[in-house]
Amino acid sequence: MEAASQSTYIKRKRDGRIRIKSGNKAERVMQGTILSFIILTAIAFIIFDYSGLHLISAVQETMYNLYVMFLQPGLSHFGWGEALFQVSMTLGLAVLSTVFGAVIALFLALMAATNLSNKGLTKTVRIIVAFIRAVPTVLWVLIFAIAAGLGSEAAVLGMLFHSVAYLVKAFSEAFEEVDPGIIEALRATGSSWWHIVTHAVIPSTFTYLLSWTFLRFEINFTVAVAMGAAAGAGGIGFELFMASGFYFDLREVGFITYAILVVAILLEIISTQLKNRLFPAAATQ
Amino acid sequence: MSLLQVKRLGKSYDLETKVLKDISFDVEAGEFVSIIGPSGAGKSTLLRSINRMVEINEGHVIFDNNDVGSLKKKELRQLRTDIGMIFQHYNLVPRLSVIENVLHGRFGYKTTIQGILGRFTEDEKERAFYLLDKLGIGEHAYKRCDQLSGGQQQRVGIARALIQDPKLVLCDEPIASLDPNTSKIIMDHLQSIVSELNITCIVNLHQVEVAQTYSDRIIGLKAGEIVFDGPTPWLTDDRIHHIYGTETRELITG
Ligand SMILES: Nc1ncnc2c1ncn2[C@@H]1O[C@H](COP(=O)(O)OP(=O)(O)O)[C@@H](O)[C@H]1O
Ligand SMILES: [Mg+2]
Repeated sequence: MEAASQSTYIKRKRDGRIRIKSGNKAERVMQGTILSFIILTAIAFIIFDYSGLHLISAVQETMYNLYVMFLQPGLSHFGWGEALFQVSMTLGLAVLSTVFGAVIALFLALMAATNLSNKGLTKTVRIIVAFIRAVPTVLWVLIFAIAAGLGSEAAVLGMLFHSVAYLVKAFSEAFEEVDPGIIEALRATGSSWWHIVTHAVIPSTFTYLLSWTFLRFEINFTVAVAMGAAAGAGGIGFELFMASGFYFDLREVGFITYAILVVAILLEIISTQLKNRLFPAAATQ
Repeated sequence: MSLLQVKRLGKSYDLETKVLKDISFDVEAGEFVSIIGPSGAGKSTLLRSINRMVEINEGHVIFDNNDVGSLKKKELRQLRTDIGMIFQHYNLVPRLSVIENVLHGRFGYKTTIQGILGRFTEDEKERAFYLLDKLGIGEHAYKRCDQLSGGQQQRVGIARALIQDPKLVLCDEPIASLDPNTSKIIMDHLQSIVSELNITCIVNLHQVEVAQTYSDRIIGLKAGEIVFDGPTPWLTDDRIHHIYGTETRELITG
C-alpha cells in the first residue's frame, strides 16, 4: 500500500509495530506501582505466621459461624422497638453530620473553586481540606474525643469534619465545570459575585451537589455504625459491638447486620427515586 | 462628544506578544460598526477591553464620558449595565428558563440581597415578556434554555442584553455557530436594535459579506492593529485582501 506513512513522529514498539499509547511518564509510574503492589502482596502471603492455623477446621468454624449468623438471626438482648430506635439514632448521627457538613462545604467550596475565587484563597482551602481528608474519620473522632469525651458528640464532630473536607473537594470540582462563558456573560451585565453564584453556578451544578451529598450520607451511615462500635457513639453500632464482643451472640449480630443492610438498601432506593423525580433530564443522561 | 472613544489602546496577556497595538477610533451613538479580521487578530480582546472584561495595559477607553480603565468596582458594575454583550455560544444558564435568563440582565441594577433573592419588579417581568414577544420567542418563555435551538438561544441572549437598557451592545461573533437562515434572522434583529431603539452596536464578524450588508462602518483588524477603518462602501476587494492576507482569499470568497 502506498499510504504507508514515513512520518518521523511515529514511535515503534520493540518488535517494530507502531505504538498508539503515548508512553509517557505517568503511564510508566502507574505500571511500576501496580507491579510493586503485586510483588508486595505475594511477599506478605509468604511471610505470614501460619503456625496454629489449621486451615480445614478454621474454614469449617467460620462457615458454621456465618451459618448461625445469617440463617438463624434473632434478637435476645433487646426487642424490635429498641432495634428500630437504635437504627434511627445511627441515622440521626449520619443526617446531622451530613447536613451541617454540606452547608459548611458549600461556602468553603466557593472559596476553593479556581473560577470563583483568588489563587491564594483557593490554595489555602485546598491544602487544609486535603490534610483533613488524609486523616481517616475514625482518627478525627478519637481526636475530638480528647476534648468532648467518647460519645456521640465526638462522633458527630469527627464525621462532620471529614464530610466537610470530602464535600469541599467534590463541590469545588463541580463548580469548576461550570461553563466560563456563563460566568463571563453575567459579569458583563454588571452582576455581582453573589448573583453569579446563586443564579448561575448553583443552578448549573445543583444535581451534582445533591448526588454528592447523598453519597456522603450513605458513607456517613456506615461510618456512624462503626463509630457506635469503636467510639461509643451509641446507636445500632454499639449494639453490634455488644452482641459480638461482649455477649458473643452470633444470632443478634446476624440480625443487626440485616437491619443495617436493609437501611442501606432503602437509602439507595430513596436517593435514586429522589434524583429521578427532581431531575428527570439528568437521570436519562 | 462621541459615545465611545478608544485612544491608543494597547493590550498584552503576557510579556512577549502584544495582542492589541495602538488602537484608536471613535464610535458615535446610533452607529452599526463591524469589526472584521482573521482569527487571532484580537477582535474578541478589543471588544472585551471596552467593558473591561479584560484589563487594558495602555491607553484609554472613554465610554459616555467615563474613563473605563480607572473605574472602581462599583462604578464598573454600573458602567456595565449600560453595555449589553452577546456571545457566539449564547452563554445562557442552560438549566434555567428563558424568562429567568432574560431577567439576569437586570442584576446590574440590583443590590446583593435583591439579586440573591431574585426580586424582580412586575415592570421588569413585563418588559422581559415584551422583548421575547418582539424577538418572536414569547411562547418559549417558560422552557428551559437547553431545549431551544441555537437561533432561539441567541435571541434569548439578545433579550438579556436589551433588558439592561444599554446604550451600546457588543456582539462577539453572534452568528458564527448558526446556519445562514438563522444568521439572517439574528442580524436583522441586531439591525432593528440600532434603527428602532437607537442603540449603538459593535459586532465582531467572521463573514465579510454579512458585515458589508448590515454595517454603516467597518473596522479591519490584523495582528492587533487597525488596517482599515471607514464607511462600508470603502471596503474594496483589495482592502479585504490586505486584512486577511494573501493565502486566505479563497476561503473568504469561496
Ligand atoms: N485569556 C487569554 N490569555 C492569553 N492569551 C489570550 C487570551 N485571550 C486571547 N489570547 C490571545 O490573544 C490573541 C487574540 O485573541 P482574540 O482576541 O481572541 O482574537 P480573535 O477574537 O480575533 O480571534 C490570540 O493570539 C490569543 O491566543
Ligand atoms: Mg474571537
